[in-house]
Formats: sequence, C-alpha cells, structure tokens
Amino acid sequence: MALLARLRESYLLHSFLRDPVAVGSFIVVVLLVTAGFLAPVLAPMNPYDPAQIDVMDSELAPAWIDQDSSFLLGTDSQGRDILSTILYGTRVSVLIGLGAVALQAALGIGIGLISGYAGGRVDAVLMRVADVQLSFSTYMVAIFLGAIFQATFGVGRYEQIAVPFLIAVIGLAEWPQYARTVRASVLAEKKKEYVEAARVIGLPSGRIMWRHILPNTMTPVMVISTVQVANAIMSEAALSFIGLGMPVTKPSLGSLIKSGFEYIFSGAWWITLFPGVVLVLLILTINLLGDWMRDFLNPKLYKS
Amino acid sequence: MRPGMQPAARFRSTHTSSNKKNPMFAFIVRRIAQAVMVMLVISVIGFAIKTAVGDPVRDLVGVAVSAEERARLSEELGLNDPLPVQWVRFLGGALQGDLGQSFFFKRPAMEVILRKAPATLELVLAASVIIVLVSIPVGIYAAVRPRAALSRLLMGGSVVGVSIPVFLTAIMLIYVFAIHLGWLPSYGRGETVRLTSWWETGLLTKDGLLHLVLPAISLSSVMLPLFIRLIRAEMKEVLEAEYMKYARAKGLRPWRILLVHGFKNTLLPVITVGGVQLGTMIAFTVLTETVFQWQGMGFIFLEAVERADTSLLVAYLVFVGFMFVVVNTAVDIIYGLVNPMVRITGRK
Amino acid sequence: MKRLLLACLCAAMLCGFAGAAHAKTLKMALDADPVSLDPHVQLSGGMLQYSHICFDPLVRWAKDGSFEPRLAVSWEQIDPLTTRFHLREGVKFHSGNAFTAKDVAWTLERLKQSQDYKFLFELFGPAKVVDDLTVDIVTTKPYGLVLAMATYIFPMDSAFYSGMDDSGQPKDAIVKTGPSFALTNESGTGPFAVTYREQGVKTVFTRFKDYWDTKSPGNVDEIVLTPIKEEATRVAALLSGDVDFISPVPPQDLERVGAHKDVQLVTMSGTRVITFQLNQKRRPEFADKRVRMAVEYAVNNAGIVDKIMKGFATVAAQQSPAGYAGHNPELAPRFDLDKAKALMKEAGYEKGFTVTMIAPNNRYVNDEKIAQAVAGMLAKINIKVELKTMPKAQYWDEFDAQVADIQMIGWHSDTEDTANFFEYLLMCPNKETGSGQYNSGNYCNPELDALVIAANAEFDTAKRTAMLQQAEKMAYDDAAFVNLHWQNNSWAGRKNHKNLEHILNVMDFPYFGDLVVE
Repeated sequence: MALLARLRESYLLHSFLRDPVAVGSFIVVVLLVTAGFLAPVLAPMNPYDPAQIDVMDSELAPAWIDQDSSFLLGTDSQGRDILSTILYGTRVSVLIGLGAVALQAALGIGIGLISGYAGGRVDAVLMRVADVQLSFSTYMVAIFLGAIFQATFGVGRYEQIAVPFLIAVIGLAEWPQYARTVRASVLAEKKKEYVEAARVIGLPSGRIMWRHILPNTMTPVMVISTVQVANAIMSEAALSFIGLGMPVTKPSLGSLIKSGFEYIFSGAWWITLFPGVVLVLLILTINLLGDWMRDFLNPKLYKS
Repeated sequence: MRPGMQPAARFRSTHTSSNKKNPMFAFIVRRIAQAVMVMLVISVIGFAIKTAVGDPVRDLVGVAVSAEERARLSEELGLNDPLPVQWVRFLGGALQGDLGQSFFFKRPAMEVILRKAPATLELVLAASVIIVLVSIPVGIYAAVRPRAALSRLLMGGSVVGVSIPVFLTAIMLIYVFAIHLGWLPSYGRGETVRLTSWWETGLLTKDGLLHLVLPAISLSSVMLPLFIRLIRAEMKEVLEAEYMKYARAKGLRPWRILLVHGFKNTLLPVITVGGVQLGTMIAFTVLTETVFQWQGMGFIFLEAVERADTSLLVAYLVFVGFMFVVVNTAVDIIYGLVNPMVRITGRK
Repeated sequence: MKRLLLACLCAAMLCGFAGAAHAKTLKMALDADPVSLDPHVQLSGGMLQYSHICFDPLVRWAKDGSFEPRLAVSWEQIDPLTTRFHLREGVKFHSGNAFTAKDVAWTLERLKQSQDYKFLFELFGPAKVVDDLTVDIVTTKPYGLVLAMATYIFPMDSAFYSGMDDSGQPKDAIVKTGPSFALTNESGTGPFAVTYREQGVKTVFTRFKDYWDTKSPGNVDEIVLTPIKEEATRVAALLSGDVDFISPVPPQDLERVGAHKDVQLVTMSGTRVITFQLNQKRRPEFADKRVRMAVEYAVNNAGIVDKIMKGFATVAAQQSPAGYAGHNPELAPRFDLDKAKALMKEAGYEKGFTVTMIAPNNRYVNDEKIAQAVAGMLAKINIKVELKTMPKAQYWDEFDAQVADIQMIGWHSDTEDTANFFEYLLMCPNKETGSGQYNSGNYCNPELDALVIAANAEFDTAKRTAMLQQAEKMAYDDAAFVNLHWQNNSWAGRKNHKNLEHILNVMDFPYFGDLVVE
C-alpha cells in the first residue's frame, strides 16, 4: 500500500511539474495565501485597528501617481492603506474559504455516507433535503440565515462573530454538493466485493463505512474541494458586496470593491481595481488548480 | 452555487423508479409527488422564518398600541394556537397565493413579487439568448479544433470568466460602456410598455432594450463559461461516435455533419442542464439587479432584507423555490419521455 | 402575433412622440420616493417634499426665513391663544372641490390623530371655522411658533377623504403598514397631481390645470420621479442625461458634478446637525463629565468635514445652526488629542475601555463613513469601539431600545427653532411629557430643562434668545453629547433650469411648482 501511494504521488508530482499552468497557479496561490497569513508581518499597517488609521489620509492616490502619498497602492475613504487591507482581506477570504469548505465537507461527507450506505427511506429523506437546499443559491441561504442570526444574536457584537458566522453560513449553504458526490461513490463502492467481504466477517457497519468505504470516495471529494474553496471565497465577496458579510470596520476584498464603487466617478479607481484584481487572481488560480486536479485524478469527470 | 451536479441526480432518481405495468406513468407520478414534498418542506421553512423573524401583530398595528390590545389581537389572529395548527393555516393561505401583507408596499406580498417577476424573467430571458448565441458556436468550434490557438484562448477565457464575480463584471461594464464611452444606460429598466395589468415589458421600446444590454451581459457571464464547456465536452464525445464517422465516409458536407448529425445529438444534455440553470440564474439576478438598480424580484428581495419586510421575504422564497421545483420536475419528466434509455437502466 | 407586436411598438412610439411634443417634463432622481400618498403617514423630509408638490401649506418658509402666504393670504393674532387666518379665494382641490376653512379645521384634526404629527400639534386645540374663508387656530397655552407650525398644515380635501372605501375602512384612516384610501389617492391644492405611481419604481406628477397660483412663473408640465438609492448610479443618471435633477449629490462627486458643462450644482449650508449620544445609563464612564469631554476633544470634527464631507458641511459646536435664535457665536469646535488623553488619565481611564456603537448607513450623508471615522478617533484615546451600521428601517428600533453605548442621531428642528433640539435630544427623558424622546444618552440636567421650558413661555424675543444661547452654552460646557457638523444640502439640475437656486431652500423643500425650464 505504502509503496503504491508513493508511486502514485511521484506520478502526481511528475504530471504536475509538466503542466506550466498548474505550476504557475500553484505558485500564485501559495504566494497569495502566504502573503495573507503573514499580513500582520508584511502589511505596513493594521487596517483593522482603528487606532492606526487616520481619516486625514483618506483617498490618497497610489504612491507613483501622487508624490506626497506614502501609501504604495493608495488609501480608501477612511485612510486605510489599500495594500494592507488587501493583505488582511485576503487572509479573511482564505480563512473563510477553507473554514466553509471544511464545514461543507464534514456535513456533506457524513450525510452522503449515511445516505448511500443506509439507502431506503433515510436516503430518500436526506436527498430530498439536499434538493430543497440546492433549489436556493448560496446567496439566498446566506441572506436568510444572516437575517435570522442577526435577529437572534442582536446587532451589537456582530463584529466579533462575523468570520465564524460567514463560515457557518457558506458552509451550511453548500453541503449538498459533497453529500451527492459522496453518496454516488458510496453506491458504487457498496456493490464491490471487499465491502461484501467485510460484511460477511461481521464488521460493524460504522467501521465499514469509515474505514473501508470512505477512503475510496476521497478522489471526487478532493476534486470538488478545490473548486468549492474558490466558490466559497466568491460567496464571501458577494455577501460583503451586498453588505451582509464582513462588518465595515473590517473590510474584506468584497467590501473594498463595494466601497470603491461609490467612488467610481470621483476618480478613486484604486479602491476598486486593486482588490478586484487580487480577488480574481485568487479565485482564478484556485480554479485552474482544480481543473488540473480534475484532469489528473479522473479524466472522465471532466465532462460535468 | 456551482451548477452541473444535477444531471447525476437526474439519472439517479430514475434508478429508483418502480417498474409497474406502466413505468413511465409511475415515474411521472413519483416525480410530481417528490416535487410536492419539496414544496411542503419549503413551506415549513417559510413559515419558520415568518414566525422567528416577524412579529405580525407589530406589523399590523404599529407601535402605539398597548400590550393588552396586542395580546387580544394575537388571540384573535390565532397566534396562540400550537405551531402545527398555525402552519396548516399558513399553508392554506399559501395555496391561495396569500402569504401576508408587505408592510412597506402595503399590498399582498405575492402580488408585489408577481409584479416584479416580469422584470427578472425578461432579464433572465435576455441573458439566456446571449448564452445560446455565444456558447453554441464557441463550444462547437472548441470541440472541432481543440488545438487551435483561438480555441485555447476561448477555453482559457472561460476559466477566467468563471473566476470573475458577477458584481465585478457589472461594475467594469458600467465603467466602460456607461461612464467612459457613454453608449449605454447604467440603471433601471428605461421606458416600459404595459402589456397586462401586471406585466410591464421593456422589450418593446428601444429605450427598454438599451437598458437591458449591460445587465443581460453581466448576468450571462455567470453561466456562459459553464455552457461553453458543456457543449464542447458533449460535442467532443459525439464527434467520436460511429455515426459521425459514417456520415463523413458518406461524403456529406462538413458543416452539415457538424450541425445535423453532431450538434443535434448534444442537445438533450444541454437542454437538461440549461433548464436547471434557468432556476439557478434567477437567484443570481440578486447581485446583477442590485448593481444595475434593475427593479426585479432580486432587487426587491434585498430591499426587503434591509427593511425587514418578512412577508415579502417569505413570498420571494416560496416563489423562487416554486419556480425551481417546477422547472426541475418538468425537465426531469421531459428527459424521461424523450430518452427511454433512462427507463431501461431503471428496470435493471 | 407579429402584427400585434408591431402595433404595440407603433403605439408605444406614438405615445413617446406625442408626449415629447408639447410637455416640459422634469425627470428627477431622489434617494427615495414617497412611502405613501397620505402626507400624514410619516413625518419625514421626503414626505414633506411630496407635500409641497401635491399640497399647499397655509404659509411656507421664504428663503430669508420669513413666511410666505400660500393658502392663507393674511393672519393676525386676536388673543394670546388665537391666530386668525384669512384664506385664499377660488382655490380648488385636484378633485374639483372648492377649498374652504372647513378643510383647514379637518386637516388640523387629522394631524392631531397622526402618530407622527401629534406631538408637534400637542398644544393645538380644535380650529374654529369663522366663515368659509376665515379660520381661527387656537392653542391651549400661549405659543410663539404658531406660524412655523402652519407650514405643516397642508389642507386636505375633506369631502374627498370622507366616507368609506371599498373595503369598508374610513377614507381618512391613517394607516402606516396596510392599505388605505389615502395611500393610493390624493386630492390637494398643490401645483401637481399624482397621475401614476408604482412604489419604488416611478411616480408621475402632472401639472394641475386649475392651480390657483397663476402668477407663478413655473412652467413644468410633468415631473417623473425615479428613486435611485445607489449614490454612484444617481450621479451617473444625471451626467448621462437620463435624468434632469438629482438630490442629494454625494460629497465625493460634488466636484465632478459642479464641473460638468450641462449641469448646475446648488449647495446650501444646512440646518440638520449630526451628533453622537454617549449613553450614561449603559456606561458609568460616560456619566463622568471628564470622559465626555475627552471624547469631545478626541473627535476631530473639522477633519471629518474636510475629508469625508469634502468640505460640504459646517463644523458644529452646538445644535443650533447660525440664524437660529439660540445660536451662540461664542462656542467654538474643540479638538485637542493631548487634552483628550489628559482628561482620560485624570478620570482614571488611561487604559481605556470598550464600547459599542451603532449608526445608520442610509439616513444621513455619509453616515456610515462618519461613524467609522469617529470610531478610529476614539481608538486614539484607547476607547475601543465595536461598530455596527444598519439600514434606517432597522435602525430606529435599535436606537429606541438603546442597544449600544454610543448612538448616532441627526436632527433638524421641525420648528426651525432652537428649543426643539433640546426638547427631543437633551431634556431629561420623560415618558409622560414626551420630552427627551430621542435622548439616548440619558443626559439629564434639571437646570437646563427649566431654562428651556422658561424660554418657551417667554415672548420677549431678546430675552428668549439669551436664554436659549445660555442653554447651548450649558450643554457645551457639560459636553452633553458629541457635536459633528451641520450637513449641507445639495441638488443638481440642468443649466436650463433658470431659477433653480431660487426654488431651493435650506429646509430642502424644493418648490417645483415655481421652477422655470427654458
């Protein structure tokens, strides 16, 4: 087993290195993610700390246009350094993306396993629930959950719970993707002889599901996970754009783009442009990596 | 959010269809029963939101009424009944299209949604036309000449397209075409013509059509890459098929082979996915409509969120859920009807 | 089918041309449209603007602060409690009914029923109809502001609004959240009548052909009002020629709008003061005058005016803007970070503390940005602010519930008088008398209350002015709340709007009936 895994890995590495797009994307993703997580070290200022921003610095142009500006990429309407805000915003985006996907995966894999393995009525009920969920886009689910959350927790402390809240919302909104994928693989695996054998020996079904079936469903899960991270990041940006995401005092990439939209006439293009470019770059490279992984792991899946 | 998972589900749902005397009939009945069940679940969610978020009494009487008066009203409105009883009442109302009153518009919430629906549907229609007109030629070309530079460019472009959030596309379009060049209007629906009591169309005036251009393009940008990829993949598969080789051997003209023999056979999966995407696209209009101030359902929905207009939120939820379920069910049934293969596999 | 489409198309185009041929249409985009056609449903700037389009008041404010006769041609005080109004002859309502004194009495009665207006008209008794064109307005106590209140009396067509509607509800019912007759029907005496309305999308006002004011130079035949909430979109609509008039103009775009060759920009220093209230009940820290003073010194309101308002606001150190009776010219804005830090240290809060703050995000000009900036400034004296902003529809409930330690409120005096600020914002909150209704800081100074009450009963203008100025000084010395600025009003129209500046005023009630378009 171990040997096989290593062989497979080396083949993966080999195929990866031969694909310049994949390598390029990987480098960009790593750079962006690292920069985001090192934001407290790299960023010239902490844009989430109100003590460090000064409204007197607001709407300064990037350093190469405005000689007086000491801000490389300019500042926003509150005097936050755009570069720093992008770094911190990227960190928030990646954090929410990974967190939401982890939650989706945990929920979706669990439900998919149970649904596929148990079959019958349990399966029917769980899959109908997934249907209902899918009939609303992430945004709608998120907007509804957001409204309910705010009604129950009150508005005062939103700033502190924003990140976990967004993770929960986006995570809860997209689990059916996983559940369906895992369920389909489980159905395929269930008929195979090794499962039959395990059952004959009398292994408990929990163990069969967990130790034997689950590992064999991991390939499609990996493929969709990459794309789902990109989607989660996009959802966060969209929610922040319509004002239901990160609070105004902690702008993410989406909220920066939104606040820049107000300045579209007054010439402060840098507030929208730079975060926009970073956001697209981040999503694009993750998507490209996902495409590569899908081609590599399962060429047949490419169709869908 | 990521579409494209539904076809698998469609095949699956037919696996379980029973094989009575008339499997087709049983299949349809079953599918409709499922749709009804989904709608019931949606009604529970709608009811839950209404109960959890809104205080109907407060909605009805405003702030100046005393606590006792409110308690009396609660009793009168049956708000002290057990929840299941209230749900059944809610369901009864919903069946007659009564989902309560929008307190902002001071009209029945369903009526407000229905009046806004044409704007959204026209936008979705226009976006669909763009998708069809662009994705078919591009998809076919990319399948026929996979190695050509243009194909690669187009396919690369489609990945980029999928990675740009729709609101960013919209802002860029506004900046270039409305502000910089001044060619196209950037907000609203322009001049509309009243067709029926609830349908105001923007499709019949030049002004209305001009207003439609930018929103339709940005909405179509969400789905376009997906369709290009889908058509390309289906087409590639068809190109490998025996009958294509046979047609080529017969010496038919190449474009005829492509369109009549090739493309025709990709239509079924494309239509299936397309039908489902229509439902998804309605949800995407929220963002597009917000940026362009397009007075449709999505725009009203976000405004209702801001105003905490609960009845309107619930009406939107039920309406969009209903649309999605209807489209999905119809597509499933059509698919089952035209593609007997599905049923054969079901009988195994 | 095709023929039908063609026919529709032709008809549509014909309508378009026919419309363009003779009418002078003013296409206007505001941030919101009237919530109802019933002027008494809500006391708000938007509804008053609507009232000035479709209704006419007894008197209205002229630009110099005097009263201009409208439906009342003259008035006289006949005893300390009674003011007699002589009404204009030959005025017709949109319904065709003639306007008489009865309508004035009826409207005043309805104002007293309206949830939003009843506090303003608390001191008013029923009006006495003397004859068809004479009416006595009576107050229960001597009251110096009867004429100011007469600007809120927009007589409604009592015959039109009487009886039952189809659903069996009285036609004069004032309904905030449900359907009512007055929601969708209007009959006033104003220059325009509503001919089409789709709420949130479009309202069309058409010139009333029997309008009494034939001397008015106004020549606009039709106003098409489109609400555009998004600021950038509203400006885009103006610059691209889609609309002719917008308000408000966002500060960040003033320069660009002003520089445009087809557009004229009008700005006036406004009278709406923007403030933050520091809740002493929630936070004992704010009960300490030194802490309040420190906050006042830490907030750089001149910086906010300069950077966020782009200079289109006036820095405030008191509530009353210049020109109001109580405006005290001696009070100067305070900003001194070192002093603020020293005060915090003196009060024993050198290390600071954490507070919550709420602000609306679509009520005042740049409200959300102002709140963020203030939060940043307080961080510099170690007061950590957790800020939540929300749409105005959600905000006022939260404000009333006092959910946060610091809350934003802007105030425009409905009487154009200083006392109004104190009555609502600074007097000790008292549920019975209704004073201090919006005092979420819970600042309470009985001495100040007594002074304001005394000033209201004072008829000697000079004495009253001195008293109100003294009151402003007391609030200033006590750092009762945080002063920011008076926000400017801004409008932009086309160059061919000949007398645009003339029809606009600091109250932001444009008199569109008088607008001349060349």
